[in-house]
Amino acid sequence: MSTEDIIVGIDLGTTFSLVAYVDEAGPHVIRDDNGDGRVPSVIAITPTDDPTRPQVTVGWEARRHAVENVRTTVYSVKRLIGKGPQDLREELPYLTYTVAPGPRDTVQVEIAGLRYTPEEISALILRELKVRAERYLGRPVRRAVITVPAYFDDAQRQATRDAGAAAGLEVVRIVNEPTAAALAYGLGLRQKHVHPTPTEAGRVALPTPTCPTTSAVKLTAGSGETVAVYDFGGGTFDISILRIEDGVYQVLSTAGDTHLGGDDIDRTIIDLVTGEIRARFDVSISAPATRQALRNLAEEIKIRLSERERADIELDLGKGRVYRRTLTRDEFEQLAAPLVERTIALCRQALRDADLTPEDVRQAILVGGSTRMPLVRRRVGELFGRVPYTALNPDEVVAIGAAIQAAILAGRQPDMLLLDVTPLSLGIETMGGAMGKLIMRNTTIPCRATEMFTTFVDGQTAIRFNVLQGERELAADCRSLGEFVLDGIPPMPAGLPKIEVEFLIDANGILNVSARELRSGKQAAIQIVPTHGLTREEVARITRESIVHAQQDIAAHRRIDLLNQVEFDTHKTEQMLAQVGHLLDPAERRRIETEIAALRDFARQTDDLDELYRRLTAFGHGTVHLAELGIRAALQDGSANET
Amino acid sequence: MPSPLFCDHCHSLYPAEGGDHFTLLGIERKFNLDQNELRQRYLQISRAVHPDYHGTGERAAASVILSARLNEAYRVLADPALRAEYLLELAGGPSAAADKHVPPDVLAATFALREQIADAKASQSEAVLADCRERVRQMHSAAMQQVADLARRLPGDAELRQQLRGALNTVRYAQKLQSEL
Repeated sequence: MSTEDIIVGIDLGTTFSLVAYVDEAGPHVIRDDNGDGRVPSVIAITPTDDPTRPQVTVGWEARRHAVENVRTTVYSVKRLIGKGPQDLREELPYLTYTVAPGPRDTVQVEIAGLRYTPEEISALILRELKVRAERYLGRPVRRAVITVPAYFDDAQRQATRDAGAAAGLEVVRIVNEPTAAALAYGLGLRQKHVHPTPTEAGRVALPTPTCPTTSAVKLTAGSGETVAVYDFGGGTFDISILRIEDGVYQVLSTAGDTHLGGDDIDRTIIDLVTGEIRARFDVSISAPATRQALRNLAEEIKIRLSERERADIELDLGKGRVYRRTLTRDEFEQLAAPLVERTIALCRQALRDADLTPEDVRQAILVGGSTRMPLVRRRVGELFGRVPYTALNPDEVVAIGAAIQAAILAGRQPDMLLLDVTPLSLGIETMGGAMGKLIMRNTTIPCRATEMFTTFVDGQTAIRFNVLQGERELAADCRSLGEFVLDGIPPMPAGLPKIEVEFLIDANGILNVSARELRSGKQAAIQIVPTHGLTREEVARITRESIVHAQQDIAAHRRIDLLNQVEFDTHKTEQMLAQVGHLLDPAERRRIETEIAALRDFARQTDDLDELYRRLTAFGHGTVHLAELGIRAALQDGSANET
Repeated sequence: MPSPLFCDHCHSLYPAEGGDHFTLLGIERKFNLDQNELRQRYLQISRAVHPDYHGTGERAAASVILSARLNEAYRVLADPALRAEYLLELAGGPSAAADKHVPPDVLAATFALREQIADAKASQSEAVLADCRERVRQMHSAAMQQVADLARRLPGDAELRQQLRGALNTVRYAQKLQSEL
């Protein structure tokens, strides 16, 4: 196995982020020394003497010092990604860090006079997870599956992928969080049939992989079950209805709100407390540090009220003024009820879109930290008429699912098939400002549509059109993905050119557009100016120059990566020689043995990392035949997962 | 019937040019089809062509397009109204854009229903709305019954196809009404 085969699964959350991996024992979250898999999605960027190299802290450390370092600590950046200032009007007053408008319709975080894109900030979290995974696996990690809320639009998905690129990760798949949770659920459930004891949610064993060329897929009619995944996280809400049947996970419908989560529930408490303080003491809480402290307090109260009936609040406002009150669970639930009802309405919509009633749903699976609230459990239970399924660890199940999807993509889980949908309708702005839908929401992805364009003026050589996502009738009420420009049309009388534009939504839920001039059959050039995200050039710049990389001595890091890889590959090759070496031609066997020694020698003494990389790659090519023999032998033993 | 999308033996993908939805799914072109068989065929072919199993690079790009075509084929064939619409198109039309007619009694019924729905909404009469819903449902199921009868006899002659066009237009009217309710 080479570095290229390692794909980790990442849950990039609003409040917490996790990384997971599937090994021989099954999928599991990669934990810190304290056994915690969660990395708080909190980043402190502290200026130093060198303005290009601020000091960056990510995770628990940054979270612990958020009150002292209030102006330099960034949290909940997931709520900013792929968004513009207008989208965030209601969000901004609650944030204790500074958000400034960026180019086009984007925002940037401003710290000590320097600007950072939400993609860069997210990349810092991803880098932390990457390093954590590399430490655990002892090898470089270059590829990842990253989860996003199912209801993320194109801009938010693109931005997440760009954040991965900035962190040095090739994002091989963007997968929807509720779908990932369903994968983890389904796998755990299937194992239950094998083992009489229920498997622990955080660690489920994988069934032995079978060779895709030999496995006959058995499909029986009428088996399977319909489940609803209710995913209420720190910043977002999703509901997905799936049909799970013989290893097929088919999403029937999804609905959600990318601005509805635990953060909003905390705010109901913050608003209550600030309002009462204003009324009682005529004091308004405006100091950022106080607001940050209040934010932490509100979250604590919320968590406490999930376990107890009442919580005491005490805030010393100085000058002998102390704000005290007891909040009961009933009062809190009244505050939170309108938000929870919004999730229930979205559940109904998803059911309608799937043409189902609540009774058709076999299991309502709860995912995300906010589902710990008794009110949420009760309302979901009432809607579906059954006790919700809470056996999965709501913090970890999405990362586990991402790791399973990574294993599928790495070819290690060939019996699972995932069919997801696009959450939003896609269309173009028509004459008169209407939304002309080309692809309806809840269409299975990948999917595509074509549209014919022509010119209106003689000799016109370019056509512009606006691509939209959303359900509303008017283009102005939908989300613009960006302006697309078809260039280089040969000058012809108006109406004569025929340009076929293909809109293809790939398995990541991301739009790809291509165009063809039908008369000439030539590919037409298409330029895209994204409304809410980064241009290709900006991504390239961030990937090159960002603080994400200023943090490390890249060469030193790379050297360690490469030496580890040499050690791993040569050791693995020796093992394989011992197992199946007798099947090789003796000359080939001798050659490989010599090459093992030569590569190790070279690695020990060289400083030329590029040359080392070349030799390592060549070594890999030279052992392909042996590796194939090894895999075949292992498959015949029925122990493919031990290769 | 094998699917033309991939090789059963070596699992390599073929370029996806041409071929109708039935051919893609490797099933016989007719209106009456076994939904279960259709679904099993769809899932089976999905397992071969889905991008999850084709890594990155050129092969992946081909599998995305194949999957998109397959998903579209399944979406159309799994829905009886879309399937009939598609068969009518293959038989030479007329298309919905070219022929918007519905039988006169449908037109009258639609006008009456629309008025009643507007009144019921204005007066918030749940009972009347429920009654409207039921009548729209009946209109839809009667039209679908007619669609099924006619689509079975495709390609047929011009008259049959025109009748089918009218029945499909009626289904659209009913769907429009349903979305308003």
